[in-house]
Amino acid sequence: MPISGVVIASLPSETNDVLRFLATLSQVEVHGADEKGNIVAVLETESSDEMEKIIDRISRDQNVLHVGLTYLNAEDEAERIIQGEEPARPFGFRKPSGTT
Amino acid sequence: MTQTRRDFIKKAAALSAASYVSMNLPIDKINLARADEGVVWHRGSCRLCGVGCRVELGVKDGVPMGLRGVAESRTNFGYVCMKGTYFWKCMRHPDRLTKPLYRAKKSDAFKEISWDKALDIAADQFARAHKAGGGDAVAYYGSGQSLTEETYLFQKIMRGGLQSNNVEGNPRLCMASAAAGYLSSFGADEPIGGYADFEKAHCFFIIGSNTAEAHPVLFRRIMRRKLDNPNTVKVINIDPRISQTSRIADMHLQFMPGTDLALLNAMANVIMEEKLYDAEFVKNYATFRKGEAEQTTLEDFKAQVAKYTPEMAAKVCGGTFKADDIRTIARWFAKSKGTVSLWTMGLNQRKRGVWANNLVHNLHIITGQLVKDGADSLSLTGQPNACGGVREGGGLCHILPGHRPVENEKLRRQVEAAWGVPEGRIPAAPGLHTMAMFSAINEGKIKAIWINCTSPAQSLPNCTLYNKGMDRDDVFIVCTDIFPTLTTQKANLVLPASFHFEKTGVYGCTERRSQLTRKAIDSPGEARAEVWIVREWARRLAEKMNDPVIAQCIKPFEGLTEGYELPKAIWDEYTQKLTAGRDNDLRGATYAVLEKMADGVQWPAPTEEFALTGGTVKKFVKGRDPMATTESRNDLPYQFYGAAHPDRTLWIWLREQADPEEMPDAEYPFYLSTGRIIDHWHTMSMTGRIPELLRANPYAYVEVNPKDADRLGIKPGDMVEIKSRRGVNLLPAKVYAGPVEGMVFVYWHDQHPDRMINKVTKDGIDPGSKEPEFKICAVQVKRASDPKPLEPYIV
Ligand code: SF4
Repeated sequence: MPISGVVIASLPSETNDVLRFLATLSQVEVHGADEKGNIVAVLETESSDEMEKIIDRISRDQNVLHVGLTYLNAEDEAERIIQGEEPARPFGFRKPSGTT
Repeated sequence: MTQTRRDFIKKAAALSAASYVSMNLPIDKINLARADEGVVWHRGSCRLCGVGCRVELGVKDGVPMGLRGVAESRTNFGYVCMKGTYFWKCMRHPDRLTKPLYRAKKSDAFKEISWDKALDIAADQFARAHKAGGGDAVAYYGSGQSLTEETYLFQKIMRGGLQSNNVEGNPRLCMASAAAGYLSSFGADEPIGGYADFEKAHCFFIIGSNTAEAHPVLFRRIMRRKLDNPNTVKVINIDPRISQTSRIADMHLQFMPGTDLALLNAMANVIMEEKLYDAEFVKNYATFRKGEAEQTTLEDFKAQVAKYTPEMAAKVCGGTFKADDIRTIARWFAKSKGTVSLWTMGLNQRKRGVWANNLVHNLHIITGQLVKDGADSLSLTGQPNACGGVREGGGLCHILPGHRPVENEKLRRQVEAAWGVPEGRIPAAPGLHTMAMFSAINEGKIKAIWINCTSPAQSLPNCTLYNKGMDRDDVFIVCTDIFPTLTTQKANLVLPASFHFEKTGVYGCTERRSQLTRKAIDSPGEARAEVWIVREWARRLAEKMNDPVIAQCIKPFEGLTEGYELPKAIWDEYTQKLTAGRDNDLRGATYAVLEKMADGVQWPAPTEEFALTGGTVKKFVKGRDPMATTESRNDLPYQFYGAAHPDRTLWIWLREQADPEEMPDAEYPFYLSTGRIIDHWHTMSMTGRIPELLRANPYAYVEVNPKDADRLGIKPGDMVEIKSRRGVNLLPAKVYAGPVEGMVFVYWHDQHPDRMINKVTKDGIDPGSKEPEFKICAVQVKRASDPKPLEPYIV
């Protein structure tokens, strides 16, 4: 379960709209906002894939100017790698031609 | 993970983000310590673009598990982008190359072989090629992603050992015009200021750069500056395509591709006409040049730009904006308390890329928007070490380490003496530039080439033509890389290399800043650091060719361990012997200093004492740049000591608008431009292997302006054929008012043969910088079918 820390930048006049929008997302925990339009939040998702999607979704909100990542912990995935599990491969993956 | 541990991590994540914006959260700091239990954070710089963000890689039980920024970093203030956040996932990726692979013929299957055998084969083949055709028959093609130590050692063996200046690298494809622009305008390569100017700037002039997607963390700094000062800071965006960057612009001017030289001249015209120029600055520090470098006068310059009235330029640019818009932005530029210009490939990858660079520099010189805080003419670099390793370390065919032109005999002698090789060992003539090198491969003149950490099979313009040469069985190709690429598929020998944080070395980013990343984890399988690979290869080469001079090239590095001692010894030789007294003097930036300086050091930094202050923030300013004092010739506060201008002045160039090499016509009526998307990087061999990034943008599409789409009957998602005189692509359409009418845009990362846009682009080059014109060519655009399901493709 990856966990990340982000600063979401919005226009100060739109910050409340962004906060309302973030409140609808279960993966987002808002920790504070300031008068400059910065919103401090923690994102917690089931997978890295979902993390990417939620950041993308927030970035696409018309009132959001930038999602700045400051911290990412994916030690669950890393532990699975230690235990021998291979990280997900992109679909369409294949070995280079000619490799034995 | 237990619930309590998750809570610690969530609180640590919140505290991390809050610290960036000085927000106090009611969370006990003890959570930080608890979250870090069992985790070691290793300092370094990011691997995935030229911004040079300082990051920390988290490692738990020897396995990388996360990444974090550090709020006080000077480059990124701790922010990282999505691409950067995930680069650590490449480290334990199942596709990593872990064993040397070999095949005698390119139609054979690869077989795993030992390092011993692999290095013997590489040495045999280069010795054989050298015997057949001397230094002309061998080549090295490197990368702006290699560490400086790697580029330096490769070029040393090529020049001092194999007597070949056929040393090139992919920065020729992206930065060569910027380097030539700096040299011809300022007399010295690389910017005068840096990112620190952003927080003091009052006007940003962003041209030919989608900063928001290509350099996202820098974009954040610009955005913050604008948002914090909405009325006093102006952002000007000049681009044929509306992009994410335009979101914060006060004015966006969209022009037809290739017409911006007229626009820049028109801005100069307004500045001269309305007397907005800094006559004192120009008188003290500048001269006027035309043609090859013939001196001319202020009156001549005025007369030249007077032809470019705003009305005329607005028309040349396609009539998409008003003449008065040019007047407005010229006034903003000239009158602001500090103007920073930023550009990337939109200016560089052009038939007249050097001229485009000159014309931006002109605006800064005539207005004096240089050398003061908050003002700079700043070319953004695409790769993390194009400046440090390739431009400074001798990674191009015409330059030796320490910004020394090859054809200068005195400077060649200095390098030979530093290496202890006989005088005359380094050939007097520059080697082949990138496009000439791959043409020579097509002709079979180069018999052995070492391609390191880059994929020319995909990244060269008009790539089908050059792939033919790489397919030849009489051209022996060695590739060092971390993943299979379209180029490793053309190789005879594929050598598995260590990745960032698996080896030690220095990257030098856009703003003359060198940062050290130390080895934090072991490489997978048998992957090895390139510096080890080159040393072992060179020793065998010396034996096979019975040439003690080659052995001499690696003598200082024998017996040193790969993880730290070896790169350190290489860095020491390069900095202490070859940057001494040069404009990129890095003698003070020893490994010991770089380890202390978390943000690295900006050159010139001639002494350790000075390097420990962080180095030179502003070049050429007495009191701030130590060389401005030692090189001082008069009482003036600024000393432009760059070696390329013996008269020590800045040069204002008279340059005309010039058309691209290929213009749309009745047969090929559209412009094609290419570029990047936020989640991917270059040939996608890394980012395409990270599912989160790949899924965000699994394949390339073509952006079509809605008016053009309407005319051509193209609906969103339809398959569209993009055809030039060189090749064809079949891509899904994104109908979007991004590109200007009459132009289509495709990003160039996709490896699929149907969607590899460099099959379509043109291989015309700038006559000065030899950089290809990736940004502009003429194409046909045709609807091919309804939408089709597509699969991403990574070799
Ligand atoms: S902006 Fe560039 S250097 Fe910074 S984190 Fe992103 S990819 Fe890395």
